[in-house]
Amino acid sequence: MQKTVDSADAYVIDGKLALPYSYFAGRVGSTFITALRDSRQILGVRCEKCHKVFVPPRQTCEKCMADLRENWVTVENTGEVINFTVVRYSDRHLPREAPYILAMIKLDGADTPMVHILDEVKSEDVKAGMRVEAVYSENTTSTILDIDHFKPVS
Amino acid sequence: MSEYHGIHIEDIFNSMKARFRPEGAAGVNHTFGYDISEEGKWRLTVKDGDMSLEKADDLSSCDVVMETDGATFVGLNIGKVDAMSALTAGKLKIRGDVNTFGITSKIFQKYVPPGAETTQEQELIALKQTISVDQRFATGPVMGKFLQGLKNKTILAIKCPSCGRLQSPPREACAICRVRNDEWVEIGPKGEMRMMEYCYYASPDPLTGETRETPYGAIGILLDGCQGEEVFWHLLRPDQLDRVQMGIVMGDRVRHGTRLRPVWAKNRTGSVFDIQYFEIDE
Ligand SMILES: [Zn+2]
Ligand SMILES: [Zn+2]
Repeated sequence: MQKTVDSADAYVIDGKLALPYSYFAGRVGSTFITALRDSRQILGVRCEKCHKVFVPPRQTCEKCMADLRENWVTVENTGEVINFTVVRYSDRHLPREAPYILAMIKLDGADTPMVHILDEVKSEDVKAGMRVEAVYSENTTSTILDIDHFKPVS
Repeated sequence: MSEYHGIHIEDIFNSMKARFRPEGAAGVNHTFGYDISEEGKWRLTVKDGDMSLEKADDLSSCDVVMETDGATFVGLNIGKVDAMSALTAGKLKIRGDVNTFGITSKIFQKYVPPGAETTQEQELIALKQTISVDQRFATGPVMGKFLQGLKNKTILAIKCPSCGRLQSPPREACAICRVRNDEWVEIGPKGEMRMMEYCYYASPDPLTGETRETPYGAIGILLDGCQGEEVFWHLLRPDQLDRVQMGIVMGDRVRHGTRLRPVWAKNRTGSVFDIQYFEIDE
């Protein structure tokens, strides 16, 4: 195609987008995080009507809209990989240097999977159905990263 | 004894001893009177880091006396009523120095209604963070020429060959006629104010992440050489927000807006902020 525009004045500007934000975990989310941090327990909520345990916990059942705020249950630190992906680029806002594995992990006692980092295994060795367990961080940040990562059950 | 917001007046007084903070009462030496209409009168004595409370018939010996009704009193204690509004509305009267009553918020822990303790005591997690993401903005030839123009203290518009309208900042095509724009025209740099938005919430600048001070005025200026909707958007000098008037065209009646001129940045880099802002041309 013939070039019809004069691009003599075109140039590129580099910038950094800094986004200040404040995330509030809410009462349910805060209970989840503080249990993780203070007693290394992973909590979920159960809907009695739907026989479903949600991890991470939520305030309301997605199916019957029941209020689940008081229905706390403790699930296991072990579970199985439902699915996974490999993150292949690095960025400052990401929790790890690439490449690393993000897996959907359904904990024993839970009916919904949660997403977390899977480590101590090569990506080519990861399979759906693989048994994994939580590894807690040495230092707490009062976030979901108080679980540092999951690793294959030894 | 009536209930207000589900709480008895007595509950608030009876829990005062338990809520007393000696460290907050250090150096305080006052008698406080509470005259709650249709409920009764109480006298609180705070002295030498201790307190005593009694029902009283006569509060004239107190340093300060609060006169109010039961609903307002309970509301004040559980944070549903604001003291200043209650004073203004005449629902709360203070005999003596108003500020003396302010001390009681240091002397006592907040009253928490029975049953509300568990939710009040929960630790709540909030995460404050700043995400930083690398960005590259390619001007392309058309925006590039416009920005180079600003560097040289000129404001350029691009003209549609079909309908003749001017666009600034320029677009490569006229979206109405769907043709490529091809002619450059210099406009302004002075013009008249057409509209202004007072902005009370500033989103961060996508290139720097900096957030400008609020409120600021985002203004549409009809630069000389432009007509109708061909307004140029920029900022108004912050201290002139309330000194400008919008121009209006209604049929053949025209009211001109305040005349404005650009204030150019000393160091111009080919950015839309090579114009710092527009100010009144006086
Ligand atoms: Zn349900
Ligand atoms: Zn056109």
